[in-house]
Amino acid sequence: MTFSIGRRQFLVGTSALMAASAFAGPAFAQDKRMRLAWWGGQARADRTDAVSKLYAEAHPGVTFDTWWNAFNDYWPKLGTEVAGGNAADVYQMDYRYLVEYAQRGAIAPLDDYIGKGLDLSDFDQDQQDGGKVDGKLYAISLGANSVAMMVNTKAFDDAGVERPTRDWTYEDYKSRAEAFNAKSNGMKLLADGSASEPAFENFLRQRGKALYTDGKLGWEADDLVDWFKLWADLRAAGACVGPEDQALDATAAIDTTMIILKKAATSFANSNQLIGFQAVITDPLDMINFPRAEAGSGGGHYRKPSQFWSVNPKSAMLADAVDYVSFFVNDLGAGAALGVERGIPCSKKVRDALAPTLDPQSQIALNFVSNLGDLLGSLPPVPPTAAGEVSTQLTTKSQEVAFGATTPEEAGPAFFQEATDILARAS
Amino acid sequence: MTARSLADATAAPAGGRAVTPSVWSRIWSANGAGYLFLLPWFIGFFGLTVGPIVTSLYLSFTNFDLLTDPKWIGAANYVRMFTADPKFAQSMRVTFMFVIFSVPLKLAFALAIALLLNRGMRGLPIYRAIFYLPSLLGASVAIAVLWRTLFAGDGVINDFLALFGIQGPSWISNPRYSLWTLILLAVWQFGSPMIIFLAGLRQIPQDMYEAASLEGASKWRVFWKITLPLLTPVVFFNAIIQTIEGFKSFTPAFIISGGTGNPINSTLFYTLYLYQEAFAFFRMGYASALAWVLLIVVALFTGFSFLTSRFWVHYDD
Repeated sequence: MTFSIGRRQFLVGTSALMAASAFAGPAFAQDKRMRLAWWGGQARADRTDAVSKLYAEAHPGVTFDTWWNAFNDYWPKLGTEVAGGNAADVYQMDYRYLVEYAQRGAIAPLDDYIGKGLDLSDFDQDQQDGGKVDGKLYAISLGANSVAMMVNTKAFDDAGVERPTRDWTYEDYKSRAEAFNAKSNGMKLLADGSASEPAFENFLRQRGKALYTDGKLGWEADDLVDWFKLWADLRAAGACVGPEDQALDATAAIDTTMIILKKAATSFANSNQLIGFQAVITDPLDMINFPRAEAGSGGGHYRKPSQFWSVNPKSAMLADAVDYVSFFVNDLGAGAALGVERGIPCSKKVRDALAPTLDPQSQIALNFVSNLGDLLGSLPPVPPTAAGEVSTQLTTKSQEVAFGATTPEEAGPAFFQEATDILARAS
Repeated sequence: MTARSLADATAAPAGGRAVTPSVWSRIWSANGAGYLFLLPWFIGFFGLTVGPIVTSLYLSFTNFDLLTDPKWIGAANYVRMFTADPKFAQSMRVTFMFVIFSVPLKLAFALAIALLLNRGMRGLPIYRAIFYLPSLLGASVAIAVLWRTLFAGDGVINDFLALFGIQGPSWISNPRYSLWTLILLAVWQFGSPMIIFLAGLRQIPQDMYEAASLEGASKWRVFWKITLPLLTPVVFFNAIIQTIEGFKSFTPAFIISGGTGNPINSTLFYTLYLYQEAFAFFRMGYASALAWVLLIVVALFTGFSFLTSRFWVHYDD
C-alpha cells in the first residue's frame, strides 16, 4: 500500500517535473509547441487536427501536441494535468464544469483580449454570455447545440413502426413498444434515459422547474419520484433497454451508447453528435427532440454552448493560445473544416459561408437547432460546483431503481438528500 | 585568541580527543564512493517516496482541492469517513469481498497447477510459460478490455453457455455478478504464486518422499503430511503478497466499470473510490485520508498474519 501512495504521489511529482521542463522547452526549441486537449470521438479529432494544420500553415513555427478522450475519461485526466501544472495551453471546457474551473483559477479570463487578439465582432451574444462566470468571459463557445435523440430510421422502418415525430410523448413511445418489439429482434425503442442528467433536466423544464436555481436544486423529491416511475413503466412495457444493457454504457462514449450497440433504436444525445454517431454506424440516423413529458408540453430544450475552448492561465504562450482560439471560431477555412460537428458555429460570417456546403447530417443538425420552436426555452444559469458529482450519483441511483434494489418512491427523496449534501459539501 | 582556538580545533583530531569528525571522515574515506553511487537512490527514495508519504499524512488532515492552498481541518476527514460516508463503507465491503475470495482461490489454484507441473513432465518450461502468461499481462488494460468482452451479455461466455441452453446474464454489467468476474480475473492470474510454489516444491528433500513411499503412504496422505507442512513458509509468503496485491487492485475495476465503480457501486474498489475522490472530485485531502486508512488496514492484516503464523507455518531449521 505504501507503494500505492508513492505511485500516486509519484505521478504528481513527475507531472511537476514535466511542468518544469515545459518551461525550459520553448527556450531551447525554435518551434512554438501548442498543446490542445478535448473530449470527443475520431470525427472530432480529424476536424480539429485539420484546423490546427491550417493554423500552422498560416503561422510558421507553430506545432501542435494534442490528446483527446471520451467525455467521462477526459475530466479526471484534465484535472490531474491541471493539478500537476502541465495542462494543455488550450483545453475544451463544458458548461457543467465552467464555474468550478473558473473559481479555481484553472482557466484564464479573456475579457482583456477582446478586440486585441480575440475577435468576437460577429459572435452570437447568447453564446458569449454562456461562457461567462460572474460577468467575466472565461470560455469561447465552439458552437450552439441542443439535446437531441439520435434515431435509427432503418430500425423503425424494418419494424414497420412510424418514425417518431416532434410531438411524441414518453407515452407515445410506450404505446408503440409492443408493435416494435414484435419485429425488432431484441432491439428496444429507447435507451434507458433515467440516468441521463440532460434527459431529467429536459423533463423538469417541461414542468416549469430547473435542475439548478441559484446554485441549489431547482426541483423537489416528487419530481424525481415521477421520473423514476416513468422509466419503471417504460422498462416494464419493454419500451426501453434492460438495466444490464444500459450499464454497458458506463462512460458516455459514443461507441457504447445503446443505439450504436444496436440495443435501442434511439439514444439520448446532443444535436452536434449526429456526425460522430453516424461515423460509427451504417444504419442511417436522424434526429428528433427528447420526448415530451405530456402532450404539448414544451420549453425543455435550450440552445446550449455545446463546448468551449478555454485557455490555461499558466500557459507559457497565452497570447498565441488566445490567437488560436480566435482563429478557430472566425476563420472561414477553419469553419469549413469543422462543419457543425461541435455545434452550430457562433460567428454569423462562418455560419453563412458554411450553410450551402453542408452534408446531409450537418443539415439535419443545423435545421434541428434552428427550428426548435415551442420546444425552446431560455438558457439555464451555469450549474454550481459539484454538479458533475451530482450527475455521477444520479447514474448510481437510477441503477439501483432499475435493478430493483430500491423503489422510485424511496429513491426520489434519497437522491434529493444526497444531491443536497454534495452541493453543501462543495460550497 | 580566535586564531588560537581554530588551531586547537584543527589540531584536536590528530590528538584523538574529538571523536565525531573523525568518525564521519572515516566513514567517508571507507565508503564514500559507495554512498556517492547510492545517491540517486537516496534522492529518489526521499524525494519521491518518503517525502510524498509524509506530505500525504499532512494532507489527510486538510481540505485540499489541488489548486488552492490546503486548509487544516483536523481529523474531520477521518470522522466523515467512519460516520457519514456510505461510499466508503461500500468500497470497504467490495474490497474485502474481493480479497477474501480471490486470495485463497488464487493460491489454491496456483498450488494445484504447481503440483501438476512438478511431476517432471516433458515440455515443462513451455507449460510453465503458458500458465504464467496471464500474470505477465497482469493488470494490463488489454486484459481488462478482454474480460469486458468475454463477459458481456453477448460475449463468448454466454455463447458457450447457450450451447447448453443456458441464457446467461450480462455478467459485467449486472451488480450481482460484476464483482465475481473481477475475482475470476484475479484468480486466473495465478502465475506468480505458482512459480514461487514450484520453487518451494523443489526445496522439499526427496528422501522424505522416499521414506513415505517405503512406508506405503497414500498420495493424499503424503500431500497433507509432508508437502503442505514443508511448503507453509511459501504459502505464508504468497498469502501476504497476494493479500496486499488484492487490497491495491485497481486497473480491472477501473476499466470494466469505465472508472465509475458501477453498476450500483458493485465494483467500487477502495483504490477506485480513492482515485475518484482525488482526481474526479478534487478532494485530495480526503483521498489522502483514505490512503492512510488503507495503509493501516493492510498493516493490520499483515501483522495479524505474522502473529498467527507461528501456529501454522513450519520452518525446518
